[in-house]
Amino acid sequence: MNKKNPLTAFLGNEKWQWLSIPVFAVVLSIVAGSVVMLLMGKNPLAAYVGILQGAGLVPKPNYAGGTGMLTDFTSFLDALAPMIFAALAVTVGFRAGLFNIGIAGQMLLAGFFATLLVGYSDLPWYLAKPLVLIIAVTAGALAAGLVGYLKHRFNISEVVSTIMMNYIIAYVTSYYIKSYFVNPVSRQSEYIQPAASLTLKNLRVGGVRIDVSIGIVLAVAAALLVYYLLYKTRLGFEIKAVGANKQAAEYAGIHIGKTTVTAMMISGGLAGLAGATFYLGHYASMQPGVLAGLGYDAIATSLLGNNHPLGVLLASVLITTLDKGATYMSSKVGVVREISGVITSLILLFSATGTYIRYRVNRQRQEQKEQQEHREPPEEQSASPAPGEVSAQQVEKSREANLKEGGDEA
Amino acid sequence: MMDRMIIDGLAFALPLFIIAVGGIYSERSGIINLALEGLMGFGAFSGALAVVLVLRSFPGLQPQGIYIAMIFAMVGGALFATIHAALCIYFKANQVISGVVINILSVSLTAFLTRQLNSLIFKAPSDRFQLGVANRITIPGLSEIPVLGAAFRNLYPFQIAIILVAVAAYVLFEKSRYGMRLRACGDNPHAVAAAGVDVERIRFSAVVISGALAGLGGISFAYSISANFSPMIYMGYGYLAIAALIFGNWGMTTTLGAALLFGFARSGGYELARALEMSSTFNDITMTLPYVLTLILLIFFSKTNRVPRSLGEIYDKGKR
Repeated sequence: MNKKNPLTAFLGNEKWQWLSIPVFAVVLSIVAGSVVMLLMGKNPLAAYVGILQGAGLVPKPNYAGGTGMLTDFTSFLDALAPMIFAALAVTVGFRAGLFNIGIAGQMLLAGFFATLLVGYSDLPWYLAKPLVLIIAVTAGALAAGLVGYLKHRFNISEVVSTIMMNYIIAYVTSYYIKSYFVNPVSRQSEYIQPAASLTLKNLRVGGVRIDVSIGIVLAVAAALLVYYLLYKTRLGFEIKAVGANKQAAEYAGIHIGKTTVTAMMISGGLAGLAGATFYLGHYASMQPGVLAGLGYDAIATSLLGNNHPLGVLLASVLITTLDKGATYMSSKVGVVREISGVITSLILLFSATGTYIRYRVNRQRQEQKEQQEHREPPEEQSASPAPGEVSAQQVEKSREANLKEGGDEA
Repeated sequence: MMDRMIIDGLAFALPLFIIAVGGIYSERSGIINLALEGLMGFGAFSGALAVVLVLRSFPGLQPQGIYIAMIFAMVGGALFATIHAALCIYFKANQVISGVVINILSVSLTAFLTRQLNSLIFKAPSDRFQLGVANRITIPGLSEIPVLGAAFRNLYPFQIAIILVAVAAYVLFEKSRYGMRLRACGDNPHAVAAAGVDVERIRFSAVVISGALAGLGGISFAYSISANFSPMIYMGYGYLAIAALIFGNWGMTTTLGAALLFGFARSGGYELARALEMSSTFNDITMTLPYVLTLILLIFFSKTNRVPRSLGEIYDKGKR
């Protein structure tokens, strides 16, 4: 037990567990990833630096003409925006006790309608861009709202209905894209007009190309808004109450159905924005019949961020870095690109055990405290009858345990 | 046309059914299993890898390949399921979260391993293991029956295996003492514990069985629809199986009905498009048939659903 002590101390501070446990999970998986790479005879350090370089967070040794670290970094921000939106969408649903697996479908639907209605029009940018956002939010919110309604009115598990809707949306939009606006060469939809795009592509700044993402600004703002919604408003309180205990919430006079549908619509609206920044920002085109993997990764990102809007911001940065840097890392170190996906999923695996770690750590501290109490007479002073025999570590422990006790009462 | 609908429908419905049976085992024991998709995929990966390795050394075993694949798919699925079981039972993780994480892990891990092993063993930068489509069997005699005889024509070997496994799974589930305890674990684990049975052990075994069955279903899809193992196997059939078992109200026979409905709706949609001589893009519309049908049927049947009472609850010995 003594050996584990520094770790227990690090993880045991309840005030910081929201951060320390995910960090612990990340460190564990980075170590696990390193072991795998060492087994393959590769240098893990070079690989991790490669990931950071690929994401534009650390300069590469050399750049192709017209590109620079800023190119990579702006592209990274551009990819980050939809991830933040999608993960926030999961967060809002989760807080209401709803498991929105339909993010990918809602994104696709929102992107489809925005592309169809605005993407190919001749509207000037000051009309086109806001319209894209409005259409995307509406499409996402309606699709998810329907799921919420089905859940409340007909007791249909949102897990099943969102999955069904994912497929329906994927196939129906695929049919329309293939029939009406597919590019015969790329097999994707035709590129949208730049006026409708949420990313200003290929701007030149100081001799390098950059993509300016409007989405990232909106995404950070959305995270703050969701924080405000969940922690400072009545609706947020109701959402959390319904998520925590339906019966109690109903008894307290909260309208379950209304809250469920509203939470789902907010979640869907955010998913819609993720779709807009994904299909009309980062990519500017749609692949028929393909649900974005991002919609599922976002579930994991939200979990890693403890379903807290600000935690989600941090988690999104981490997951997007791993994804974005993988290609460069792969060509630099000669490890297949897929390893970054494995590391990502290991992070999630370890963070899924967060509850257990919390439980174990807190129990261990409890035990330590009890042991101390058994050994010691009530007063602090007489706690060490023979000072020479008690190690400094033990004293430290007992002080910590006492502090802990005080903290619990507060 | 009717024949083709029955043949294709069954070839899809049976693998789906066996995955759903796996889900029933897990969920009736009280563990939510959203991981079916990942278990199915990892099972298919293990089976495909085993076959590719065996055939590399013994090319003569080609005809027996599918049987080797089925065995290893079940083993692989079962092994992978221990992660879900351990997370849910011993690490007290949220079961829904664990399921999603297992799925993500399965996708990335198999993609990584497939690419890595391909370049390591076969020196080829490929993201798939080529399997081909299994040979089909026609049962003499029974296949002569008009209309329904089609159910015995052009069978894949895995369909017969699935039927045998499903019967065994049914007997174990409904008639044995183990099955009774398993079902009791899902409704009232404390009562089972009071009878002196180790709840955690029963639940663990149930999840492992569900992994084995999902693996069998996965390799069946790999040997029929996709003819290879690649990350494309994650088409969401595991989720569809979950829909089937919820729609089937967590019962074996009703779930079989749901799976058959999906299968026939799917093949029926294809046949409809073919009969109306529509362009192949229209297939996208007919492909939505099983999903739309599920949603509509759920509207009518969900009210009466009886969920296993302690499904998703973390079992705590100290809590009564």
